[in-house]
Formats: sequence, C-alpha cells, structure tokens
Amino acid sequence: MDVFGSFALILAFVCAAYAIVGGIAAIFTRHPLLIKSARQAGLATCALIFLATGSLVYLFFSDNFSIAYVVAHSNRDLATFYKIAALWSGQEGSLLFWSFLLSIYVFSVLIAYRNKNGELMPYVGVVMASVQIFFLTLNNFVASPFKVLGVSAANGTFDLVARSDGNGLTPLLQYPEMVIHPPNLYSGYTGFTIPFAFALAALLARYPGEKWIHLTRKWTMIAWCFQSCGILLGAHWAYAVLGWGGYWAWDPVENASLLPWLTGTAFLHSVMMQEKRGMMKVWNVWLVFITFMLCILGTMLTRSGVVSSVHAFAQSSIGSWFVGFLAIIFIVCFAAYMYNRDYLKSENQLDSVVSRESSFLFNNLVLLVSCIAVISGTLFPVFSEWLSGSRISVGTPFFNKVNIPLGLLLLFLTGVGPLLAWRKTSLDSLKRNFGWPALTGLLAGAVAFAFGLHHFYALVCLILCVFVTCTIGMEFFRGARVIRARSGATFVASAVDLTMRNTRRYGGYIVHMGMVLIFVGLAGAAFNRDAQKEMQLGSTLDIGPYKLLLQSFDQKAERNYTAERMIVEVLRDNKPLMMLYPERRFFQTNEQSGTMVAIYSTLREDLYVVYAGQSPETQLPVMHAYLNPLVKCIWLGGAVVVLGTLVALLPNRRAVLVLSGAEQPATVQRLTHALSPSVTVREGHD
Amino acid sequence: MTNPYRKCKVSLVIGMLVLSAALLLLFSLRASAQQTDRAKQVGGKFMCMCSCSQVLTQCNHVGCTTSASMLKEVDQAVARGDSEEKITQAFVLEFGTKVYAEPPKSGLSLLAWMLPGVYLLTGTVLVVFVIARWRKRNVFLAAAPGPSATSGVSAELLARARAQAARDTED
Repeated sequence: MDVFGSFALILAFVCAAYAIVGGIAAIFTRHPLLIKSARQAGLATCALIFLATGSLVYLFFSDNFSIAYVVAHSNRDLATFYKIAALWSGQEGSLLFWSFLLSIYVFSVLIAYRNKNGELMPYVGVVMASVQIFFLTLNNFVASPFKVLGVSAANGTFDLVARSDGNGLTPLLQYPEMVIHPPNLYSGYTGFTIPFAFALAALLARYPGEKWIHLTRKWTMIAWCFQSCGILLGAHWAYAVLGWGGYWAWDPVENASLLPWLTGTAFLHSVMMQEKRGMMKVWNVWLVFITFMLCILGTMLTRSGVVSSVHAFAQSSIGSWFVGFLAIIFIVCFAAYMYNRDYLKSENQLDSVVSRESSFLFNNLVLLVSCIAVISGTLFPVFSEWLSGSRISVGTPFFNKVNIPLGLLLLFLTGVGPLLAWRKTSLDSLKRNFGWPALTGLLAGAVAFAFGLHHFYALVCLILCVFVTCTIGMEFFRGARVIRARSGATFVASAVDLTMRNTRRYGGYIVHMGMVLIFVGLAGAAFNRDAQKEMQLGSTLDIGPYKLLLQSFDQKAERNYTAERMIVEVLRDNKPLMMLYPERRFFQTNEQSGTMVAIYSTLREDLYVVYAGQSPETQLPVMHAYLNPLVKCIWLGGAVVVLGTLVALLPNRRAVLVLSGAEQPATVQRLTHALSPSVTVREGHD
Repeated sequence: MTNPYRKCKVSLVIGMLVLSAALLLLFSLRASAQQTDRAKQVGGKFMCMCSCSQVLTQCNHVGCTTSASMLKEVDQAVARGDSEEKITQAFVLEFGTKVYAEPPKSGLSLLAWMLPGVYLLTGTVLVVFVIARWRKRNVFLAAAPGPSATSGVSAELLARARAQAARDTED
C-alpha cells in the first residue's frame, strides 16, 4: 500500500505539472481540447491525492510498522478514533493532509464550474494547480509520508525492517477535539486558495468587474467559517488539555492561525464596498493575495520551527521551501497587478466621511493594524536575535496590551458600521440610530460600575457589548415590525422571514452577535482567580463559592495508558454539587504524560480543576483550581458565528408577486425583467 | 472565695491575648497573601524557560521541571524583600533576555512597543488621506464629466472589458 501511495503522489505531481503547462497553453491558444485536458488533469491530480491519503490512512489502520511515519505516530493500542488524527500529527502527514483538503476544494471548483466561466477557468485552473504542485513537491521529495524503515547491509544493499509496535501518538493530541480542530483550521487555510485563484485569474484575464467577487463570495465565507471554527476549537483544546487555565496564550502557532482570519475578515467587509459602490478594487485584490500569503506563512510557522512554540510536534527545516514559495507568490501577484492595474480603477468616489464606506475603511484599518502588530510581535524574537544577537521574548502581556484596545475599537465599529448609510449619513439618522443604543450602553456601564465593576477594559467592553447588541436588536426589531404589520405573523416568524429575505445582511448581524458573545467571554478573563494546594485525603480547597473536598486519590490502568486520578467532591455553600475527576495520564509507549482537566462549566463561570502532580517534597497530590468567569460565552459565541455564516450562505427568499389570473405570466415576466438589475445591485449585506 | 474583680481581670487579659494573637495571625496571613500576590505579579513578568512559550505563572504543562524551580526562586526573592528590578536583573543574568514575558521599554525592545502605534498612526493618516483624495476627486469628476484621463485604459476599452467579463462568467 505504501508503494501505491507513493506512486499516486508521483502521478499526482505529473498531472499537476500538466494542468499548469496545458492550462497555460490553453490560455494562449484557446483550443477547446487543451482547455478540457488541462481541466481533466486537474481533476486527476485531486483523485490521485485522495488515493494517496487513503493509502496512508489504511497503513495506520492496518498497523503497518514498516512505515516510518506510522511508527512515529501510532501504536497498536491507539484507539481507532485517534488513528485518524495520527494522519496530521506529524510533519509529513500534515503536509499530505494540506494537499488532500486543497484537492477537495479544487475538485469542487472544477466540477461546479465545469460548464461555466469558460474564459476564466483556465486561469483559475493554472493558479490552483500551481499551489497544488508546491505541496506535491514537498509530499514527494521533501517530506514523504511513505518512507519505509530499513538498515544498510554490509554488501551495500538496503534491507527493509518492520517494528513490532509504534511509538504512539503524542498525548496532547489524544483528545477528541484534535480529531476535528486541525481539519477545520486546515480547511480554512486551504480554502482561501480559491478566492486567491479567482482574484489572480481575474487580474491576469483583465476582468475589471466584480465577477470574481460574486463567484468566490461563498468560497471565501466557507473558508472563513472553517478558520473561525478551527481557531475556537484550538482554543478549547488548549483550555481543556494544556491545563494552565487559559485558552489563548498568543503562541506563534495560534497567532499564525489568527493572521489570515483577520485579513479574511477585513476582506469580507471591504468586498461590500466593491459590490455596492465599485470602490476599493485594488485593495480587495491585495487583501485576498495577502490572506493567502498569510495562510502559507501560517503553515510555515507551524511546520518550520522558526519560532518556538508549544506546538512542537511538527518542526523541521522545511521553512526555506515556504519562504521561496512566498517569494514566488508575491512576485507573480505584484507583476500581475503592475501589468493590469488599470483595470482596477474605482467607479465611484466617497461622498461623506460619515458613511458606511468610511466605517469599512476604519474596520479594515483596525483589522490590518492588529494583524501587522501580531506578525511583528510573533517575529520580533527572531529579528531581535538577528539584529542584536540576543533573543527577546514577546509573550502574552505584550499581545494583550496591544490587541485589547484594538479589539474594543473593532467592537465599537461593529455597532456603528451597519447603521451608517451608504454615501452619506445625516445627523438625524445618526441620532435616530445611535441615541438609544448609546444611552443603554452607558447606563449598563454606570450600573455595573455602581455594583463594583471597576476594571477599565472590562467596563468598556460591557458598554460596547450592550451598545452593539442594541443596534443589532433594533435592526431586527424595525424590519420585523414592518413585516408583521403587513403579514400579521408573530414577531419571531417575522424576524425569521426578514432574515430569510436578506440572508447575507441578517446572517452578518448574527455573526456580529456571536462576536459580541465572544467579547463578553474574553472580558471575563479580567476576573479569573486561581488557588493551589497540596491535598491530603479529606482536606479542602476553597475557591470562590466552591469548596473542593479530596475524597480519594487512586490509580487506574487503561489499554494505552495508566493514570493517577483525584476524586474530588465539589460543594457549593456547603451543599454537595457534583464529583470531578482530574487526572494525569502516563503513556507507556512514548513515555510521555498528559493532563485531563476536570471542568464544571456554567454560563456564569467555569470551575477548572487540575491535578498538578505530586509535590516533590511531601509526595502529596497537588490540586490547582481556577475560577474562570463567562468562558462558556466564548464557545457559545463561536456557535452563533457559525450559525450566522450558514444563514449568510443561504440564498435569499424571493418576494412572491400575487397578481390576478390573465395578466399574470406577462406581468411577472415584465416585472422580473425590470427588477433583475436592481435586485443584483441590492443583493447582499447593506 | 475568689475575687470577682480578679476573675474579670484574668478574663480581660486572656481576651486581650486572644485578640492580639488573632490580629497577629490576620496580619501575618495578610502579609503572606500580599507576598503571594507579589510573587504572582513578578512571576507574570517572566517566561518559563522550558521552551513552552508560556508565561512562568501560567506554565503548568506536564513534565515541566523548569517552572517549579523558577517560581521557587521568585518566591524566595520576594520573601527576601528583593525589589522587582533586582529580581528581573537576576533572572536576565541567569537566563538571558529571552526570559522577559514582554520586551523591556528600552533599547531595541522599545521598537516592539512603538511599532503598533506607528502602524495605527500611519494607517489612520493613510485612511484620512485616501478619504480626502476621494472627496476631492469626486468634486473634480462632477465638474468635468467624460472619460477619465488618469487611467491608462480608455473608458471605452474598460466598458468593453467589463461586458466581456460579464459574458464570460456567470454565477
């Protein structure tokens, strides 16, 4: 099966090379057979990558310990569930997984547009195949996952060997979320290839219009949604597995995942300027280019080990390949832009500073500044070492100090932006739209202050959260009220109807509500508490309203690990509430340990209990407990963001025209004809 | 027969002693809590040196032997009454500049602090400049309608390319 997988990868490389060469030839000659053959080569590339990935998965499931990658990342007793996760747990497999996910996107695009956009697709095909061939180069010649184990014999031959068992999967990855977090994050990274391919193709083909944006809107949103899910699942994994009581440590790999998300979010907003007003075409093209480059940079940071990270399970010297690829992407994008920039002239100009356009400009500014600040903070240790010879660490306190004010500014714009009118907003409109929300926010802040909320950022965050919630609520309320007055339906049904009539706009609002919830959760971190104690049987640890009573301390043996476990009774106001079982696992195969945190989670707060090992002096078990307020809001917010994105992806429900019998067909045809351009103009988040 | 005044006096003395002991305990607990808080605050300014890239007080990852010894050093220094500056100097001497959780606000590290502000300022100036330019051009376009002279591509060619794009692509 390893030979089959290797052969499939080599063939995929050849097919991708043909898709590029054939595609370029097709662009110049416009020969239908060439166009078709390049497209088929693209499809064959994807199919072969699917087969290669399937082969590696099969090797894991069949416990084939003659393959170096399987030996390094699996063992016989590893649960079937985690044998899937082993696919992306190391360098070689994760790069193949990148190729696999990219192929799903490429395959979908090639199938979805097989009979459409005939002039543009050869360009798109060439760009997508070029990205694929880079990863196939790594899969085949730099980090092949199908290397076999062997020893050199005295006579110069190479004898294959097979181990009886593997080293097992890193304990940190033996957690259910690890089976879904990397695929989500990678789907985000790879997904941005599609808008990138269309943007570059449209520029190369000298398409001045907004067509590439219409064509890629859904792909961009899908990629963005996966990226958001991936980031939040990663945060939850860090929270539940690493056992330090937090969910975001500004680790270089975490930062790497955040960067394309920030620029992708900026793109999703600024793209509306192009759709509505024909503005910011150059900016949008470059935002997509930058987002894609950041996806590659993110992959490089994760894989190369250029910056030290807790995600140290996949480091190597592969970075130079990525640097080279990034340089090529930049040169190609820059050249394409310089040659064809005249086709990206804006059609309209700005009428007023107080307008939706301005708010989007500032939204993009804040997102970009945050992105650049995170990049420079992440890479500062490398630069400081390069410039002065000593490495200066940049940790959580720096990133928090820089990004919290920017985040709050962004939250403010989240409330302001959607309520400003396109072109120009009058003073009356400003008063009408912002008066009550601003007043309610300030009132909520005053009440919170009176009740003892004196933390500056938390207070500002609360005021802004209330403000944004009110602005969004008012938007739904006003729209639903009109529909209700006409249809007589209930308010909830009217709100649903309103959402379905303009899914993009109201889906966007739901996403904003999700972000508000996430901000509420993040603000809760200002009030985190923790306590640590060496525990004897029957002793207690007090934290907040909880009393943690150590009832027992035992050991258990499972198939793949042994564990030391605390059995803890949680009491609230001296009344028994529940039992918690924090434990520490020891995996025999790779002689590594892992924490299993016990969490009692409510909407108000999380009681987070860690068994922190035995004290070296007293040999007593040490309990570390955290009380983290409002953490659940972050995960709920994530779910709302996904819901909003799904709503925004749905097609708008069309209004039904009710006309009298005889004149109906002709009138409907005439009206449809008359309405379609304006419907096109009005489509989307406005 | 016992003297009631004497009994009262003894009770008073015992009461005073108990109260003093309680106050002493309270103060010592408070001092210890303050010391713990200070150790936590000082520890939050350093990175754990086990390559986990986490702040010292947050490093709790399994198998980390470094954080425990570093935290102990912080506790001892705080108990000795060492100033934050002295503790920082000792740590930098022992581990190098990579022990800082955030770059110090001096020398080359100052650049790290200044850059985000510079980005924001430059970006704001750029946005304001773009808005002003757009508004000016708007006035110019309104005054002189016709094909744009600024573009290297004529308006006619642009319109033709737009029509071509519309024909070539479909949603």
